[in-house]
Amino acid sequence: MSNVLIVDDSSTMRKIITRSLRQAGLSVDTILEAADGIEGLNALGSNTVDLVLSDINMPNMDGLEFVKQARAQGCKAPIVMITTEGGEDIIAEAMNSGANGSIRKPFTPDQLQEKLGGLL
Amino acid sequence: MSLNLNVAEWAHVQEVDMARHIIDATREVFSTMMAMEVEDCYPLVEPVTEFHCSITGMVGLAGSYTGILSIHCPAHLAMKMTSNMLGMEVEEVGEDVNDALGEIANMLGGHVKQVLSKGGLDLNLSIPTVISGETYTIRSMENQDCVVIPFRCDGERFLVGVTIRKEC
Repeated sequence: MSNVLIVDDSSTMRKIITRSLRQAGLSVDTILEAADGIEGLNALGSNTVDLVLSDINMPNMDGLEFVKQARAQGCKAPIVMITTEGGEDIIAEAMNSGANGSIRKPFTPDQLQEKLGGLL
Repeated sequence: MSLNLNVAEWAHVQEVDMARHIIDATREVFSTMMAMEVEDCYPLVEPVTEFHCSITGMVGLAGSYTGILSIHCPAHLAMKMTSNMLGMEVEEVGEDVNDALGEIANMLGGHVKQVLSKGGLDLNLSIPTVISGETYTIRSMENQDCVVIPFRCDGERFLVGVTIRKEC
């Protein structure tokens, strides 16, 4: 079983991702939540996390900066961006910053399963 | 009300194309995230600027273009949408409904951004803003550079509008 950190400023989206992870039948034990990059870094600093799912467009610290700082702090867990941002340049920037993949909103539980199944 | 001519020229997109993108995006968001079907009633016959017992979710676009994407729903429909998104009963307009409308606006804004942006770095989406009330007016909806799509869902009408400009 795995620990997953969801970083998204929308509480609705955090609930949807949580429900979709369960519906997709992925091997998830504990789900941690953070509302922006700063909270995400704090969660990484005080918990063992096996997978990070992060939005890009967030207040205080966006997802691109969060990925950079998470990697700089030594986070080895896969980081997948779940975002409305579908532009290839912004996704490339996320990947260059240390992200391992991306999922575009809106998504189905099947799409989550397909993208995340190999990471959990 | 129509698509700004500079936007049409720079983005190589006509008003009917922008309307189709918004319709397709709205259908996808509603069917995927809410298991709800929507029917578009494009074009809008009469401009709408005043809303009653409604909720409006908005995201701004800034960079190579400037504008606002907004979704305007009757409160009852917004509660039904939120209920379907969260998989639980929602009986009042509160934090959950506001957050859900903001996230829907965010997803629709992301789709419009993809239509206009070359790679995603030249155009920024703002954090969503949500307003609600018994009666309020949205001035951007009377802007001549606004494309508004009426939809029907669950027996009620809602609007999705995008006001977008290209400063040359």
